[in-house]
Amino acid sequence: MSKDLNQADLISGEVPADLGEEIGGKGRVYFENVVIDNLIDAMLELAGAAWAHHDRVLVLEKVLEKKGIAVTDEIEAHLPDGDELAARAAERDAYVERIFGSFLRRPTGDLPGRSDS
Amino acid sequence: MDRGSIGILPRPTNLADESYLEFVTSFRKLAIQKGFPTLATVGEKALAQAVAAGEVSVKDGEEIPLDEIKKVFAKIPFVPTWQRFVRSQQEMMWRRTRESFMKDADGVMARMAAAEEAHPERISYDKDFVPPVYTRCEIHCQPGGYTDDPLGGLVYHYGTKIFYEGFNDQDELHVELAQKAAKPADGKLERILDIGCSIGQATTVLKDLYPDAQVHGLDIGLPLIRYAHMRAVERDKEVFFKQALAEESGYPDAHFDMVLSYILFHEVPVKKMKEILAEMYRVLRPGGTFAIYEFPSNDKGQVPASTRFMIDYDSKNNCEPYSPGFVASDFKGILEAAGFVVEPGPGLTNDFLQSVVATKPA
Repeated sequence: MSKDLNQADLISGEVPADLGEEIGGKGRVYFENVVIDNLIDAMLELAGAAWAHHDRVLVLEKVLEKKGIAVTDEIEAHLPDGDELAARAAERDAYVERIFGSFLRRPTGDLPGRSDS
Repeated sequence: MDRGSIGILPRPTNLADESYLEFVTSFRKLAIQKGFPTLATVGEKALAQAVAAGEVSVKDGEEIPLDEIKKVFAKIPFVPTWQRFVRSQQEMMWRRTRESFMKDADGVMARMAAAEEAHPERISYDKDFVPPVYTRCEIHCQPGGYTDDPLGGLVYHYGTKIFYEGFNDQDELHVELAQKAAKPADGKLERILDIGCSIGQATTVLKDLYPDAQVHGLDIGLPLIRYAHMRAVERDKEVFFKQALAEESGYPDAHFDMVLSYILFHEVPVKKMKEILAEMYRVLRPGGTFAIYEFPSNDKGQVPASTRFMIDYDSKNNCEPYSPGFVASDFKGILEAAGFVVEPGPGLTNDFLQSVVATKPA
């Protein structure tokens, strides 16, 4: 770890929101063409996000079923207002960044994190 | 919103995090349980072909040099794919686990503080202590490592749930290793020490198994010790935790009847390992037992080439800086040089690990 450690901060200090030199930074490169690394990261994030959404729909259907509510038609008929559109756009932007951010994280393969193994 | 727990395991703070992390668990299972055997099969085959073709130089009676193994493996397309898979799932696991529990950071910090207020006599640390640099690696890529993240204990707990691919959700592996830990031949078991105890999973099981014994856990990570203590207090287990270096434990001579260590030694430099063994010899009473579960060692070619490749990769890409040194070391000889009588211990379900019982002569 690059920073000095004061243990008193671990007990009464603020919990840092961002932490981790390994999971932060540029990460590692395993392919000659770094785009393959980035594509796999994107694919994994996409698959993770798709599963989370799928799981949520499953849970939602169970919750509504318990309440005796059929929602399929209602969902199709729902028309969002401006506030909802803006909130959904912000969430969507974060979703896109989570999936495709790896291409920006490692724009070239010539990085200090290139693995020798 | 309190989403409760999964038995004795904390639950991520929202469904989206939990679903994502369950996806990571499934992906890890694919990468480790099926991906590594695939890599091993194609790698060993390519290596055998390279040896037969005279492309790899091997001296009679010696194992193939690691650099030669790496050269052959590097030509296999699945190898960088597997490396990318394993590194990426590890990053995804820690990133989202910490993000999730960060949403309840104040609540977790308050629970640890409340446990310390309720039972200050069961936790020992010095706020001014500075862990040495060698202990402050981000082992397994965990953000802040074991020493620097106030939430490190909780993040470790859920992160290792994923690491263990669902096989240790209720501490099942720790139950097994604690049950199998060798007791002294004379049966006297008044004080037990778990070194490198982390969040106290085996420590609390030892208390369940030996309720009349005084059970202690020691670790260098203050965030781990605080979480271990909270977890024990909340589950009404009278266990004593201490932050200290295992090589400078501070316990009296001949104080313990049994010591346990689970996958500690490959996380420290060999020099420190020797110091820890000398310290454990000091704190064990004559006839006391030291139950050790650890990475393979004394590598004289018995470790397959693909496993050596994996350990080297893991060392460099999963922040395990000291494990190759341990694997190459004469661990049994070092134990004997420290004064212990060494015998094979009971095997675990995880047969990658070696099991050793080191006894201090009576």
